[in-house]
Amino acid sequence: MTCDELLDYYELYALGLAEDPEWSEIRAHLARNCPTCIPGVRSARELISLIGAAAPAVEPPSRLRDRVLAIPGGQKASRWNWSPVWAVVAACALIATVIFSVRAHRASAELAQAGVELGRVQAESASQSRELARLNEAFAILNQPDARQVVFGGATPQPPRGRVFLDPKRGVLLLASNLPPAPAGKIYEMWVIPKGGKPVPAGLFQSTPDGTALHVLPGAVNVASTAAVAVTLEQASGATVPNLPPVLAAAL
Amino acid sequence: MLLPLLLAIEFGENDADLVKRLQRRDPRAMAELYNRYGRLVYALILRVVRDGGIAEDLVQETFLRVWNRVQGFDGEKGCLAPWLLAVARNRAIDYLRSAAGHMRNAVEVSDTEHPAGFADMEKDLLNSDKVRRVRVALEKLSQNQRAVIELAYFEGLSQAEMAERLKQPLGTVKTWVRTALRSLRDELGTAVTA
Repeated sequence: MTCDELLDYYELYALGLAEDPEWSEIRAHLARNCPTCIPGVRSARELISLIGAAAPAVEPPSRLRDRVLAIPGGQKASRWNWSPVWAVVAACALIATVIFSVRAHRASAELAQAGVELGRVQAESASQSRELARLNEAFAILNQPDARQVVFGGATPQPPRGRVFLDPKRGVLLLASNLPPAPAGKIYEMWVIPKGGKPVPAGLFQSTPDGTALHVLPGAVNVASTAAVAVTLEQASGATVPNLPPVLAAAL
Repeated sequence: MLLPLLLAIEFGENDADLVKRLQRRDPRAMAELYNRYGRLVYALILRVVRDGGIAEDLVQETFLRVWNRVQGFDGEKGCLAPWLLAVARNRAIDYLRSAAGHMRNAVEVSDTEHPAGFADMEKDLLNSDKVRRVRVALEKLSQNQRAVIELAYFEGLSQAEMAERLKQPLGTVKTWVRTALRSLRDELGTAVTA
């Protein structure tokens, strides 16, 4: 089709309403850097964006800002970048402590104290590294356009609710909210339930004080043969058989 | 109520500089991004899903996705606000479709929110005057024309789905859609391309 024939379809394309053959034709024109269609579609996208900006203004709750800033790279997450700095600071503190303790004839006690502190910093750093790896796994699943998404709890006003993403290559991601922290001595356990099979343990996790939870089961998963993903409340050591009823269940 | 948002968009730090800071993983850039566009994104998503809790989840997901993909965004040529709105709209409609048991439209989503699609747009596209003009233009549409535009944009319905929802022939719905878009283009064309 010629550019003139596609002129009336730019807005439909930008709005997601174009159908074949026009949809494919516009994509083909864009792919070959068509000097007419590229600015035409760009103007159409600008027009469609204005429709979105015309939504009624609403003030978001203040807690939402904290949630967004918790994304890695936001203010709260900036501590990732500071871990090596803290490690160096801790090392310097250790050296200073040694010198001081020799001078004061209390070397062994001070060294032990510094060692405990260094161990604590190292443990914190390792914990942060694990958390970063977990978030990276979550992003990877979230970014797969082919990932199967299942919503749970959306029809009821009460908690918990959220979504489960299943990607055949990268695993299962659970995003939940309104999931209160498990009581003392208990923990949440995710289960992948195959069609006609027994639930398979898929990892332990805890929700945050504000009731949100993110849990990843990395690795390949057979989405087609999966009937549901569920979460149960278990003893802190976890379980091999789910404690029914489940706290939440997302049927595929 | 919209004024502070629009003032922030119009008189804040240059978007290109903000994109560079996001790409450098400047820890304050995400805060600035949220300060500038958080209300706009939240308002759009809430309009789509009509549930505050779900909207909060989707806003977080929107900013996470932008953070994760900003390396592919050309800050010198691209326009942040329309890209954010496209990502937000896709997240919200994706949620609606999933909640209704429909499959995700992966091709459509990846196509409409690719960072390259927002190159060379007007830098102050979403200024107060243009937003006001689009509201006026939407109000000028007939009830049916406005309904199909809102169903398409805010609910992500195809023309066939709109025909089913409105219990109207598909041809009638297509006519309403095309007439409405032509009217908006005529009303706002100079605003968009100025």
